[in-house]
Amino acid sequence: MDVDRLRQDAAAVLADGRARMVIGFRDRAGDRVPAFITDAEQAGELLYDEACRQNLAAYLKKAELKRFRPVAIVARPAVMRSLVLLAAEAQVADEDVLVLGVSDDQEYHGILDLAATAALLNEKYAEMPHDPDLVKRIEEISAMTPEERSGFWTEQFARCTRCYACRAACPMCYCTQCIVEKNVPQWISTAAAGHGNYAWNIIRAFHLAGRCTECGACEAACPQGIPLMLLNVVLARDVEEEFGVKVGYDAEAEPVIGSWREDDNEDFIR
Amino acid sequence: MKLIDANKLTALAAALARAGYRVVAPVEDSGVVRLKEWAEGAAIRTGAVPVNSAKDFLFPPSEIIGRWDLDGDDFMPRDVQPDAPKTVLLAVRPCDAAALALLDTVFNWDYKDDFYNARRQAVTVVPMVCTAADEQCFCTSVGGAPDATAGADAMLRPADGGTRFILEPLTDKGNALLDAAGLALAEGEAAADPPVEIARRFDVEAVTEWLSRNFESDLWPALSLACLGCGACAYACPTCHCFDIQDEATRRESVRLKNWDSCGFGLFTLHAGGHNPRPDQTARWRNRVMHKFSYIPERFALVGCTGCGRCARVCGAGMSMSEVCRLIADETKKAPTHES
Amino acid sequence: MTQAEAKSTESAEAFEPRIVAFVCNWCTYAGADLTGTSRIQYAANVRIIKLPCTGRIDPLFILKAFEGGADAVLVSGCHPGDCHYTSGNYHARRRWTLLRNLLAFTGIDPRRLFFSWVSAAEGQKFADLINDITGTVRDAGPFDPTNPARRQPWT
Repeated sequence: MDVDRLRQDAAAVLADGRARMVIGFRDRAGDRVPAFITDAEQAGELLYDEACRQNLAAYLKKAELKRFRPVAIVARPAVMRSLVLLAAEAQVADEDVLVLGVSDDQEYHGILDLAATAALLNEKYAEMPHDPDLVKRIEEISAMTPEERSGFWTEQFARCTRCYACRAACPMCYCTQCIVEKNVPQWISTAAAGHGNYAWNIIRAFHLAGRCTECGACEAACPQGIPLMLLNVVLARDVEEEFGVKVGYDAEAEPVIGSWREDDNEDFIR
Repeated sequence: MKLIDANKLTALAAALARAGYRVVAPVEDSGVVRLKEWAEGAAIRTGAVPVNSAKDFLFPPSEIIGRWDLDGDDFMPRDVQPDAPKTVLLAVRPCDAAALALLDTVFNWDYKDDFYNARRQAVTVVPMVCTAADEQCFCTSVGGAPDATAGADAMLRPADGGTRFILEPLTDKGNALLDAAGLALAEGEAAADPPVEIARRFDVEAVTEWLSRNFESDLWPALSLACLGCGACAYACPTCHCFDIQDEATRRESVRLKNWDSCGFGLFTLHAGGHNPRPDQTARWRNRVMHKFSYIPERFALVGCTGCGRCARVCGAGMSMSEVCRLIADETKKAPTHES
Repeated sequence: MTQAEAKSTESAEAFEPRIVAFVCNWCTYAGADLTGTSRIQYAANVRIIKLPCTGRIDPLFILKAFEGGADAVLVSGCHPGDCHYTSGNYHARRRWTLLRNLLAFTGIDPRRLFFSWVSAAEGQKFADLINDITGTVRDAGPFDPTNPARRQPWT
């Protein structure tokens, strides 16, 4: 990828005041970690390659970073969709964010505002397929008996320590108080075991139904390697098939779960 | 000296299991190396640092510490005993063993934690000298070493170019374990391999000194920018020991749980009245550094970090304790100016 | 029958399903009321929890029911177009579509989660529905106590 152009653009938006901070990636001994650049002269630290997987849109929810708005965020298509979705959910305004867009095959798209980001997504990335490996795995699991499926997920969820790294990594998990922390009544058991882990992981996924852009940040952040994206893609696929919606392409869109159509499928309702 | 071939480590585990030990060892589990109860047939993976630390087996993520039965208006306490089977922590990292000194101190400082102590008493610790490390390892910066024996009951030392291990007992528990291993071990001579070299990244005393006079510093916001406030680092940490007490009840029974907690969470210091003395991630991350490198050294004359590097490995946001400490140590080398 | 009694009959030969029904106040609850005032007999395996509207039914209610010992859950409200609050049932319908598949994918047998529209005039439908799903759940057997959705005994 043309990292030089990314660096030049980052320096330019900082120099002319279009952004007060650029959030991108830097190298740390071979790891790709977030870089927070406020000085045009430091833009040379930025780099980008396929190892840059964190969803940097998650930093928009961080209170300490609000004073640096407008921020310019280095974003691949799934991250751009997060940003458009955050705008649709009134979490960011057009003037808060600039996008330094990069494609999944390392093409640089330049400086974009949210409108241009949405336009680019609709023009070039309207058909983002679900990860084929995940789809294959979902088919395999769906073909199991209910007992086998519950056995599989028992094993997966048993490893959850309830560190909530999945929640922290997700730009869409921006509630100031998460449902799992509400204890009057205690909806979800606090013990890192059994039914509490099941309820937490199911509700986390469900609260992202129609809100997940399949960036993969939650699963990448999970220290225990729980395959959270299987849950997210099951929901994203249903959202697409049942309601004809692919989220993150329209900053004016109504939320999938907050809206309805009279002719929504109800084959399963007696 | 007692020797065992490198490919016979599972035979040692099997012998110990037969002798009544619950064997906890690094094994592969869903694509990651994890410390867990070893089962017959599982290969012991010594190359990588396991994703979880040995503390899980002394201070589990969730533990029941109280229990009541409810029957109408009757409220009957039930006896709760810690689940503390005789356990060997086999081929753990020396940095995990080193962490036990701090856990022992904290759980016996002002209050003696029966649950921790029961488990601790039942545990025999057998670390393996590290002959491999990665970019995140920094034990030598915090007073440790890849061949340190602190907290160990016996030591596994790779020898003769990695073809066998020397099992060297260090305590009574270690001797008992060697006896239990019996025929799995052979008598002989071998030359221990040199431990991996781990470069020193920072001067820990300089860090502690800087922290003592920089509770308020412009550096903190910059150091904590990447943190998104989860508990991954604390839960992976071999020394983090904060917990939360929660009661959970149904109509028939009630339990009191001791769950891991993390100072990275916004709720950690949130008061019932709504005030939060650590209102943002900057203050929370500062506490994490302060606790490990200032408060613990001051109170217990220990360093609250063993340099295992797990926090950086698991962090989804690229935070690194060693990088932060290095930046702090660099700060102390700068000539004082009005700006700093 | 109390919960404790239901538990004691959980043996394979005499399995009485415990079904939790979340219903709306205006249609299905009124429908169930009509079943009763019409003296229509139906299986005594259902525990009704009345809510103002199906739009109020959070997925957590359903999880909580399975967690606490339900062998099956029924969610029922007004027919489309009849919602007392205009659109609560339309919102609920979208949620159920997604939740149903998510729960099935994670190991809750679809034979344990039912959805229906029962109006205030459909006393007979309510009785038939309860009899039918009780039979289905009876065939499916008790909810697997090791399912991760079930409250595990504290150990």
